[in-house]
Amino acid sequence: MPIANSKISLAGSPGSEHSPASASSNAKKRIRVFLVSLALICVWLTVRFPYEVESGVEHLLNGPNRVNPQTLHLHGEFVESNLGPTEEPDGRVTVRMIAEQYLFVPQCVVVPTGVPIRFRMTSADVVHKPAISEAADELKVVPGYVVETHLQFPRAGEYQMPCHEFCGPGHYTMRSRLIAVSPEQFRNLSPDGRVNCASQ
Amino acid sequence: MPHSEWLAQARNRLKNRIAPAILPLAFLLLLYGSAVVMGSDVAEPPVRIPSNVAWTAATIAMASSGDALRGLLIGRRCDRCHGREGFSSSPSVPNLAALDRLVIWKQLDDFRSGKRSSHVMQPIANSLSLQDSADVAAYYGMMPIAPDPQDDRAFPQPLSDPKHEAIAGRLISTGDGNRGLPPCQACHGPIGFVLGAPSLATQNATYLLEQLEAFASARRANDINMRMRSIAAQLTEDERHALAESYGAGVAESGFAGR
Repeated sequence: MPIANSKISLAGSPGSEHSPASASSNAKKRIRVFLVSLALICVWLTVRFPYEVESGVEHLLNGPNRVNPQTLHLHGEFVESNLGPTEEPDGRVTVRMIAEQYLFVPQCVVVPTGVPIRFRMTSADVVHKPAISEAADELKVVPGYVVETHLQFPRAGEYQMPCHEFCGPGHYTMRSRLIAVSPEQFRNLSPDGRVNCASQ
Repeated sequence: MPHSEWLAQARNRLKNRIAPAILPLAFLLLLYGSAVVMGSDVAEPPVRIPSNVAWTAATIAMASSGDALRGLLIGRRCDRCHGREGFSSSPSVPNLAALDRLVIWKQLDDFRSGKRSSHVMQPIANSLSLQDSADVAAYYGMMPIAPDPQDDRAFPQPLSDPKHEAIAGRLISTGDGNRGLPPCQACHGPIGFVLGAPSLATQNATYLLEQLEAFASARRANDINMRMRSIAAQLTEDERHALAESYGAGVAESGFAGR
């Protein structure tokens, strides 16, 4: 009985390749399978891929922007030897900072004036919101994510960077300083692009 | 024939279902591979790790799983320096009574991994397992800070300069916003605590001064994300003395809220 059933279904199915009527339906079926698999892959790429591989398509498009706030000091771009300004091979300057209760680390950063500077920040505990005077509005720094922005410093001198989001009892004193110097001076100060003025 | 029918069916399936999916699959594989290659292309910065401890849920569970009774037996070896009651007889040795257990566990782990150096504590910490550290931490964590007249303890020590109390009081209660110095009590209590920050209410002056100076010169560098190094480096010599002495005098125990 089951054999007979399967015979009937086979005969009636569009899969038998000898009948000319089923050729177009075969092609349709192929297209449908192709489209469905493409759609599934698209769904997987958008939903799962960034979590499967941390350096995935998201990395290709935006750079990595998810971090574990508890292990910043163990690996990744926010280890303490990588904080502060860095001159990249193409000459651009990137500044990496950690916001934590109740400091922005490093507490004092030297940057060049007049050129766009890439800022990458993340939080080690709660939401902080550094506001850089004259150069930027507030940046919302959320634990687990990297916030990236491009800033320019029009004049040389000192810029204040206080926290504008209540983050705990030490919030009112949470601030860093950014010292902008001319690009030549910046290059002289730091051949490797790393200047930290916190202890001065 | 059932066999040939099955074969035909399989061939059909191969042609109609699997073949059209090969192209997108290959594309996906290519994308995946290129992403992994590009990801590994990111230059790894030179890494300096301040401490192997990270406050993940697993670490916190491990560090707070101690058995205080076992800790009491292990802790007999600590009596000589840290005191029977957790209060040292020497002002340059830290008091351990009522310190948070995560604090003690982290320092023992840092001594063990060499992230914090001490000729005395490194060999001792090396002889303790992770569980032993948690046990000792649990034991000292539940010790009372009540005064004991029979106990030989260095705490509290008198202030050498009465002016120091005002300087320290301001730093402890309000910090200094101009330099971005947070108030001590926001992390070290009693107003607030952060993970791994010890309570300083019953700490010895000489020990505190040594640690502040070590942090300022980065001789001690086991603070996660450079919290204490950033702060201590900005304090003046006078302020370090004032803070250490005020905490050592037990002034902070009553709180600075009214000042």
